[in-house]
Amino acid sequence: MARKSFRGGVHPADRKELTRDAAPEIYLPKNQMIYPLNQHIGKPSVPVVTRGDRVLAGQLIAETSAFVSANIVSACSGTVKAVDRHRTIGGLFVDSVIIENDGLYEQAEGIGEKADYHAMTSEEILRKIMDAGIIGMGGAGFPTHVKLSPKNPGDIRFVIANGAECEPYITCDDHLMRSCAAEIVAGIDILLNLFENAEGVIVIENNKPEAIAAMKKAAAAYTRIRVLEAPVKYPQGGERSCISLVAGIDYKISQLPADVGCIVDNVGTIYAIYKAVCESTPLMERRVTITGDAVARPCNLITRIGVSCGELLEYAGGWKDGKQAVKMLAGGPMMGIAFDSLDVPIQKNNNALTFLTRDEVAESEKSATNCIRCGRCGSVCPVGLVPQLMAAAVEKKDFERFEKKLYGMECISCGCCTFICPAKRPLTQEFKAAKAEVMAIRRAEKEKEAARS
Amino acid sequence: MSGIYYQVSASPHVRNRLSTGRVMLDVIISLIPAACAGVINYGTRALAVILLSVGTAVLSEAAFDLIAKKGMTVKDGSAVVTGLLLALCLSPSVPWFIPVLGSVFAIIFVKSFFGGLGRNFMNPALAARCFLLISFSGIMTNYSMSDAVSSATPLASLLEDRAVNLTSMFLGSASGVIGSSILALLIGGVYLIAARAISWEIPVSFLLVFALFIGLFGGHWSDPSFVLAHLMGGGTVLGALFMATDPVTSPVTSVGMLIYGAAAGLLTGLFRVFATAADSTSYAIIIANLLTPLLDEFIIPKPFGFREQERDPDKESRPFTAKLLKPAVNLLLITAIAGIGLAAAFNVTKDTIAEQELKKKLQSYSSVLPGAETFEIDENSAALIESMQGSVYGTDFGRAYINEVAVGKDAAGGTAGYVISVTSADGYDGRITLSLGVDTEGVTQGIEFTELNETAGMGMRCDEPGFKDQFRGVDVERFTLNKAGGSTADDEIDSVSGASVSSGAVVNAVNAALDFLHKNIG
Repeated sequence: MARKSFRGGVHPADRKELTRDAAPEIYLPKNQMIYPLNQHIGKPSVPVVTRGDRVLAGQLIAETSAFVSANIVSACSGTVKAVDRHRTIGGLFVDSVIIENDGLYEQAEGIGEKADYHAMTSEEILRKIMDAGIIGMGGAGFPTHVKLSPKNPGDIRFVIANGAECEPYITCDDHLMRSCAAEIVAGIDILLNLFENAEGVIVIENNKPEAIAAMKKAAAAYTRIRVLEAPVKYPQGGERSCISLVAGIDYKISQLPADVGCIVDNVGTIYAIYKAVCESTPLMERRVTITGDAVARPCNLITRIGVSCGELLEYAGGWKDGKQAVKMLAGGPMMGIAFDSLDVPIQKNNNALTFLTRDEVAESEKSATNCIRCGRCGSVCPVGLVPQLMAAAVEKKDFERFEKKLYGMECISCGCCTFICPAKRPLTQEFKAAKAEVMAIRRAEKEKEAARS
Repeated sequence: MSGIYYQVSASPHVRNRLSTGRVMLDVIISLIPAACAGVINYGTRALAVILLSVGTAVLSEAAFDLIAKKGMTVKDGSAVVTGLLLALCLSPSVPWFIPVLGSVFAIIFVKSFFGGLGRNFMNPALAARCFLLISFSGIMTNYSMSDAVSSATPLASLLEDRAVNLTSMFLGSASGVIGSSILALLIGGVYLIAARAISWEIPVSFLLVFALFIGLFGGHWSDPSFVLAHLMGGGTVLGALFMATDPVTSPVTSVGMLIYGAAAGLLTGLFRVFATAADSTSYAIIIANLLTPLLDEFIIPKPFGFREQERDPDKESRPFTAKLLKPAVNLLLITAIAGIGLAAAFNVTKDTIAEQELKKKLQSYSSVLPGAETFEIDENSAALIESMQGSVYGTDFGRAYINEVAVGKDAAGGTAGYVISVTSADGYDGRITLSLGVDTEGVTQGIEFTELNETAGMGMRCDEPGFKDQFRGVDVERFTLNKAGGSTADDEIDSVSGASVSSGAVVNAVNAALDFLHKNIG
């Protein structure tokens, strides 16, 4: 049954003190807004506006194109400047809807209308979530309406609201839980309406006492919802870690949480669900922590999706002492993505921008040695893999062994092994490349198979 | 924007402070108590060996770095660890070239040639020790300090069924290698485990299986202090805590470590009880090192998601002891089966071996005292020998031990002479045991070897008539060795050329025998 914690894990310096007490500020962007069409897992959305169209805040600008895909709405009012490729955080140029923001924030019709979810059917609730363009806001970006449509809803035993926020530096979920506890709990109750046999569990790392208190208070009114305090350990906020903690279940990478009776959603996602279902507000807004030792005024912002990172940095006071950051991350330092241009938009799943004056990766490369086989990587792996042997297999390009014998595809890229490695080996990075290689091999084999038949 | 580029890399973007250098520092710290105990117990000689060994190791790696142009890997501190470990398993009395040669071999041949840190397949310090043991057996097994009276190591005494002092073994004041203080080694071992530089699996399974094996097959199963003495002697603790645990040459997985530790413990016990090599722990660990790639190839734990899916979730939180039970029982079984098999083989051959040895002894007795028909043990001498409790005989004969005095009777039943069996531990490659025959007039009748393992073509030539015959038909108090050769006097023995160590040991043994005879038989 429930465990005290998941196995493995590491304790990086959390650096949350930079923004822990920074009360969220609302920032409405002034400049152009950019909406990449592939900011979710699955098929890119299809634009429904063209150059010159006038759009309102909350208006659909690109729609879902497949079972696994998502809608995109404009978060501002203005004119469609272009539907063209634009640079994104991931470094690629991606087809995007670019909107000239008129700064008026004129809203589309019907937004803000209150609705009672108790009177809705499951289909109606899911439809609203899909229309609102909600995807996993904790980072992965999986379309939420798909996640909420498992084969047998009656088999779901736990709806887990993930408020662990284990990634260093980031505090936006902490602040969200402190100020919007009632909405989050109501959001969980909406999900419990979809899954009648489930219990709602809010997982919060115990370094957030205010958030825990607020959520406990809000949950007190609901018999099916409780708060579970988790020990501080990275990656507590990982889907698998949460399920291990709450249900005591481990599962394979080929399985979905729903296969083991669990639905895990970030608290930000659940808040968005509440807004979509009860206040008819599609996903336009999100909280972003602007942090790091290179930024003048680390802060928590409630801002609009599509705003450029440069504009947010400017609002946060720009570079501290005028010294440009050495490294910029979308997200935190453990799983965040390093990007190299401020002319990129905030997407639905970007919870933080971290600006650092030092690049520990480049520094650590200087003190890198051969692997000393100390085994620390294996002891911290939350999946139970043996990274040392996986790295040895990758080095020999033995992808067969990597995949079949060493279960390399189970790696969740959490970064614990790389973090802990005294020899400073880039383990996680090698595994990411190896997993891509295995996928390519699998694809090639499938094609060969198809060609034969 | 200022136009300076931003660093881009794949996540994670932070690193733990722990570095390879820090891990090595932990190992060095853990070895300091043992090194200090060595210096306290054996004096500045030990310090000199440690400094020479560490210094040479560091210089060797730096030199290789320069030649191979691989960058200065010497900075990681692993050469210091190797040098220190090697010094700790050397006798404090070794000449200067032993630590130097050993360190060069360890760093250049065992480590650097295989790709440096983390790439070697044997523990460099241990491989160097084995290399030195094979090449310089006599020097490596000589633990006598210049002024020490008794220099038999506790283990040597133990193997000859003599009593040992457990307290001095624990403190490291008995004769032995520099790192022989069990107390200091245990302090270091606890530090290593606490610092997570090693894990508990290897030392625990190693020592457990070894103790079990010694207990079952050492011949003194009812005596716990015998097992304890074996655990504390022969570098067992040094090996189990610091050599076998070297992460580079031991398996990565927990189960792999348990099997590997058990294999090392089993082999150590096996070599200790049934083999005659000068060392058991080192050879056992080196062989276990070779198992590592195999264990890492096949013993791979399943990820969590593959382990417990089908199991009843209520059973999951089994207590730690229950989880340990299965491997423990398996280890016990493996030990028992291997041990029983060996013991059986040993027992079957034991009587034959004893018979052969007795026959060989009698043959040698007859050949050195041809006038005798039968031999009887001289009771007075036997009591005297017993009272010496296996200590070195006299002060003048190196490490000589009197084994037995037999009285030779002629066909009529009269005394024809005496045969003395004597051992010198100062041979170039270990022990030399010989029988000396003397007639009733005190005239020597010749010598014959019953134990001689010297270097072929050199020390082994002591067994040739040209050398042995010099000891025949002489009536002297003692012989002297003439290393130059060409002796004319009766009491001068020409050394076998190129084997003055072996020849000297023979002369010492013969002199000890003569001395014993003159003092006690007359």
